[in-house]
Amino acid sequence: MRLGKQIQSAHSGISLRASLTLLLGLLFFAYAVVSFVTPVQAAPVFQADKPANDFCLACHQEDGLDFKLGKDTIAATINPTQFGNSVHSDQSIMCVDCHTDISDYPHPKVKSKNARAFSFTLFVVCKQCHEDQFLKVQDSVHQRAIDGGNTNAAICTDCHNPHTQGRLTGKTSGELTPSARIHIPETCSKCHSGIYDAYKTSVHGNALTQENNTDVPTCIDCHGVHNIQKPTTVSFRNSTPFLCAKCHTDPAIMDKYGITTNVLNSYVADFHGTTVKLFEEEFPGQPTNKPVCTDCHGVHNISKVDNPKTGIALRENLLVKCQRCHPDATIDFPSAWMSHYEPSPEHYPIVYAVNLFYKFFIPAVLGGMIFFVLTDIFRRIVNRIKGVKHV
Amino acid sequence: MSGKKSINSAIAHQERTFTRFMLGQRWEHAILLLSSFVLLITGLPQKYRDMSWSQDLLSTPERLELIRQIHHIAAIVLAMEAIYHLGRAIYLMARRKMRADMFPNLQDIYDAWHMLQYLFFLRRDKPVYGRYNFEQKVTYWFLFFGFALMGISGFIIWFPVQFTQFLPGGVVPASKMAHSTEAVVAAIFIVIWHFYHVHIERLNLSIFTGRLSEDEMKKFHGREYERVTGQPAAKLDEEK
Repeated sequence: MRLGKQIQSAHSGISLRASLTLLLGLLFFAYAVVSFVTPVQAAPVFQADKPANDFCLACHQEDGLDFKLGKDTIAATINPTQFGNSVHSDQSIMCVDCHTDISDYPHPKVKSKNARAFSFTLFVVCKQCHEDQFLKVQDSVHQRAIDGGNTNAAICTDCHNPHTQGRLTGKTSGELTPSARIHIPETCSKCHSGIYDAYKTSVHGNALTQENNTDVPTCIDCHGVHNIQKPTTVSFRNSTPFLCAKCHTDPAIMDKYGITTNVLNSYVADFHGTTVKLFEEEFPGQPTNKPVCTDCHGVHNISKVDNPKTGIALRENLLVKCQRCHPDATIDFPSAWMSHYEPSPEHYPIVYAVNLFYKFFIPAVLGGMIFFVLTDIFRRIVNRIKGVKHV
Repeated sequence: MSGKKSINSAIAHQERTFTRFMLGQRWEHAILLLSSFVLLITGLPQKYRDMSWSQDLLSTPERLELIRQIHHIAAIVLAMEAIYHLGRAIYLMARRKMRADMFPNLQDIYDAWHMLQYLFFLRRDKPVYGRYNFEQKVTYWFLFFGFALMGISGFIIWFPVQFTQFLPGGVVPASKMAHSTEAVVAAIFIVIWHFYHVHIERLNLSIFTGRLSEDEMKKFHGREYERVTGQPAAKLDEEK
């Protein structure tokens, strides 16, 4: 209104009504220009005349809708209850939002030669809504494998069945829910079953799968999600200590289990860790022959250090790890590594004694020297002032 | 450590000088000085690897390896010098060709006490010293044991696999701790104690020239002067 009044006063001959019409016209023009220039967000264009999901499900809940693609059988039956529980149903996503080539019956013929090829034609529609995740996958080891011709590598729909996928993140928190975390290793195990078997026996995997303990890492906590990187690279290896340290230096997690959070400090303070840290910071791509966490503790099969069979608190077990790099090492060699302990009278008394000695020796030596030197200087100055013939 | 008197009349001004260090001993000091310096500057970046100046130095794995190689070579040079020094000293002393002047004795305690009284204005005269005074003996033996400790611990952390075949594993981290801590103590000791006495208290270059003048002998090593010349050293250092 104020603007209208201003215009009115500026063009006193024109009525208020005419000014408002002009203003509205200008605004509309500006909006048209802006919306033309600004690229449209990659969001599905929901059309009002699209067939409703019930319309599709009327047929697709029936059994016996299987059809053949080459040698593969495609099950086109959708369980309405399962789909109803999915996050896509919850978000009112329509069948034809993803099955974009279908708008009516009869459907166009599927041209793909087999089931995998069919999935490859379909999964790109995920990008419409999940662009962030989709683009992250473009940098992943899975995409690289696909680009290299391995079509077995995972695409969106291999991990997330779009017809059944439930909500994974908290609605308000946006964080992965505990129940979602528990099922992650199973998802990965669909392809990486050998690793899953090892993981299940590990201290982490056992806690997750047997005790539903979500304090432990699942696959994605170390490997990431969507933009999963190749874990056999030098830079991944060099960064391992800092990866493990994310949880192992966090007292909120470690205190519950009585595990020290000093593991990274004590590692970095010693020969191996010093070098690895230097490499990680200065030249992450340069290989180092120094061990990282996983070289002694294992990767997917990490066991408790005090496990009576496999634990590396047993010198015999640790020696095997040492010998991989120090083939001539003997049974006393493993204790050259302080096992993440701070030296104390119980653990590493020799190192503790050396520390203690220097704690007193250094001030004593420094004090003694400085005392003699300062008193000597003082006496000389006094001699000079007094005019004593000085020696 | 040779007690042999040497009157060097060939010097200009006809000044009477006394041999304090033989040529071999001066070379030993030069090797000791150089190798210790190299060990110090290649060791410090390894000890203080968290510091940015250290990481600037060790900016590539090759440099880290190089700096370790240099440290190891200097360590071998110093170890051989130490073996030569000990062997020569033991040989000469066993043959009665060298007096055991460097060993500490009761006189050093009296001298130190005397010096302390002087520094507190309780005496007017300074102690009259023999060939090596207590301060010089402290320097020698402090560094003697320091270098022995650094040598042993250094070889333990260089060859941990070999040493743990007959020693408990704990000696390796203990050696690592002792090695670099002792090195820093020794470096500070040299700067404060040794440099003060040979540069600031008086410029004493006898370790490089090998000689002391008659004046210096009388002033600073009066008892030694009396022993080698049979003449009393004038009480030059007594205050009027």
